[in-house]
Amino acid sequence: MSEFFGPLDPQGRVPPHQQTRVAAFLTSAHGALARQFAFALPAKLASAWQTELNAQVYHEAEIVSLLLRATSWVPDLALGYLSMSWETAWFPQPAEGIPDQPLARAVGLATLAHAVHAGIRPAALLPREANADDPFVMALRRIELESGRLLQAQILFLKGPELLPHRDAVSAALEHRHVEIRKLWTSALEGVGIVVHKS
Amino acid sequence: MPFLSHGSYRIRYELDGPANAPAYVLVNGLTQYAELWAAYREALVARQFRVATFDLLGQGESDKPALFISQDDQVAALHLLVDELGDGPIFLAGISFGGLIALRYAIEHGERLAGLAPMSCFAELPPQLFLLGNALRTALILGGTSYLQDLLLPMNVSDQWLGPVLDKLDSVKRQGWLVNDVYALQNLMESFLDFRPLTSQLSSITLPTMILNGEFDFLTPRAVHETLRAEIPNSALVIIQRAYHAFTLEKPALTADLLARFAEDVLAGRWQGNKAVWIAPEEAGGELIAFPAGYDHLRAIPVQGPAT
Repeated sequence: MSEFFGPLDPQGRVPPHQQTRVAAFLTSAHGALARQFAFALPAKLASAWQTELNAQVYHEAEIVSLLLRATSWVPDLALGYLSMSWETAWFPQPAEGIPDQPLARAVGLATLAHAVHAGIRPAALLPREANADDPFVMALRRIELESGRLLQAQILFLKGPELLPHRDAVSAALEHRHVEIRKLWTSALEGVGIVVHKS
Repeated sequence: MPFLSHGSYRIRYELDGPANAPAYVLVNGLTQYAELWAAYREALVARQFRVATFDLLGQGESDKPALFISQDDQVAALHLLVDELGDGPIFLAGISFGGLIALRYAIEHGERLAGLAPMSCFAELPPQLFLLGNALRTALILGGTSYLQDLLLPMNVSDQWLGPVLDKLDSVKRQGWLVNDVYALQNLMESFLDFRPLTSQLSSITLPTMILNGEFDFLTPRAVHETLRAEIPNSALVIIQRAYHAFTLEKPALTADLLARFAEDVLAGRWQGNKAVWIAPEEAGGELIAFPAGYDHLRAIPVQGPAT
């Protein structure tokens, strides 16, 4: 087990079975976010903040499309049951302790997006000698950078004035989501010989 | 690897040196982690100190609260660590953000300390520092940890330090990039959003206090250290020659020596702060030089100060 991808091939590329597992996880997570943001997006924007929602839909879709093209896919027998557990985990979870149900659902979606954007750092798995010109390597770096930007929408919303009275509920829901997503990510990587460094 | 518990969060710490010796607690700056104090552990343990280092909440191996983190939480974490050290003399030193946490600790729990060493530190956010802080936060948001490091490196260390590593900066930055998560750093930076100046409370710090400031630190320049010197009664300001904001990284031997000498002076009853201004020697073990009388230590050119 290693904290990083490897062993790399002579061209500095990540082994295809590791690419497949990581890309499958990320595609599943960001695909779920794209779908859920799309459902949350009204046909006609009514508020300024919805422009951010619109951007999130397309950035999530871009991440999925990028991974589909940049990954060297190979068969992975474990993906059947892993995908089931991942897709189940992305189900909407309205935050407990917030009586306003539309708001609780919005918080639930934001906590999922926060946990994925903040807690999953695929580029941190790249060893120093990874080939910077390889499309998969570039894709992971781009996804990690983009996630840091996308995260801002969740931070602004979850720290926003509307949720101030529900700070404890928000905090509990968010920490729960982080633990849940980290566990899935860790377990997905362990199957391909990678142990996630805690930080 | 031992941990302390603050609510549901874990704080990673390390103790080195003899258990019954006077202790030094070292508090990290914003993007730092406990391993960066390795040279201090070695130097201070060799001088018969016990050394306590830790990762603040949101840093290194400590837990990283997902969204809400306050400076009060950091002070509470530091308090837990100090409680681990028993009843002997305890000296507290912190750099930059860690210096601020150390100041806040000294204000709240000064009775537990024998001495305080704020380094590259501030008690208020004057406009330049406020705007720089905002700009660095925006850099983190837009460009990630790597871009923040790109901005901080030239602010924090000298050409002499940067020159030899210029062609391997990615390697220099890598560990900091790996251990720092964007959201956790952002949470730490946003703990300043409701920051209230500490200036009016500084006079309550009656401890021996050695304030260290890099000669060329333009992130936290002389003026913000001057506030500490002017308000903390038993303080002295020591200017580190040719140093920038992160002189603890660039000049560990000198800085560790200054910290050890400060504590030894306090323990021997020799320390007299007198709000004096000193110039540190260029190398560890050298003599401190009194800032020339009549000249203004807040200026970069030798202009005579106001008559006192």
